[in-house]
Amino acid sequence: MTTRTSENNSATGLAWASALGVVVIVLGIFLTAFHSNEAMKQAVLVNYMPESGQLPAAFCPEEELEEEGLSLGECEYMATHVEGLALSTPEWFPAVQIWLAGIGALLAFISVIVGGALVNYKSAANIPAVVVFGGLLLIDAAQFAAVVNTGPILRDIYLWNIMLWMLIHLMMLCGIIAGRTVSASN
Amino acid sequence: MKTNGYSRTAVILHWILAVSIFFLFISSWWMLGLPLPTKEIQFRAFPFQLHKNIGMTLIFVVPLLLYVRFKHRPAPVPSSHMKPWMHKLATIDHIIVYVLILVTCISGYLSSAHTKWDTTLWWLVDLPRVAAANDDMNELFSDIHLWAAWGLLAVVAVHISGAIYHAFLNDGIVRRMMRW
Repeated sequence: MTTRTSENNSATGLAWASALGVVVIVLGIFLTAFHSNEAMKQAVLVNYMPESGQLPAAFCPEEELEEEGLSLGECEYMATHVEGLALSTPEWFPAVQIWLAGIGALLAFISVIVGGALVNYKSAANIPAVVVFGGLLLIDAAQFAAVVNTGPILRDIYLWNIMLWMLIHLMMLCGIIAGRTVSASN
Repeated sequence: MKTNGYSRTAVILHWILAVSIFFLFISSWWMLGLPLPTKEIQFRAFPFQLHKNIGMTLIFVVPLLLYVRFKHRPAPVPSSHMKPWMHKLATIDHIIVYVLILVTCISGYLSSAHTKWDTTLWWLVDLPRVAAANDDMNELFSDIHLWAAWGLLAVVAVHISGAIYHAFLNDGIVRRMMRW
């Protein structure tokens, strides 16, 4: 017996497409923000870091610490942390990361639109979905390769979450390919 | 005539709002870990200006979305698609989401307005100071901003859960906000 909710007809759309579409939309929104922030992060760190790579002594007056809820040690560490990032970042990395994160943000936003087309089930959404999910997977793979070629500090920061996104995009890609196959065989 | 879904303008504004809110959360967690600013250490300058600008823009986007949303009302959801308690929860959650977005953005602006830092709207217009620097007021609005933001994250989670639930049911409710 089929229920209203699992019917695969044109009035309600396809169940697999609706489920995949909403997951794509939620993750797409999050990833757009995530990639945009990454691009900004790299641009800010490069543009505001003194050429020497050394920062002046951290500015940690007591009233600021109280306002920010920081200890003196934490305040000093924030400056040291940025210096450490600069120290462990190869010269080529920020530009590569800005490009990859920028393209990633664009593809992630397009994936929100593709996700909407899947929820509405339009068969024309299948090919763009494969392209966009594949593109996102390629961005993850390129970021993974870039980070692998840095050092242990950046690998510790980036690799686990890039791998998580790779798995998510791989699942999305397999999902759309499987869905297309099911739809075609029906 | 009422359509089945929201108007295209409402749909676009809704998704822009969604991306902006997530960007504001993610970027704020990062930027607050940057060193405190001095003349030589300026890492916070750009991210803070951007954060304030997006937040101030949302103060105008939310009423615009509400206006469009109420001007072009979609047909009501069939009662067979939603239990009454779910409908009530969705309505309450929507109201709280809108209120908290506004409270978060306005308190953020007021908190910033009571610091020594000026704001340039999208790097084009220097906004006039509305208040003198005042640590107590800054702290008060900063606390409101913080707790309203955490509350917003919680109600957005409920909102997203509802959307995912209905998309998994494939009952057509989510489709109302997916019209391109």
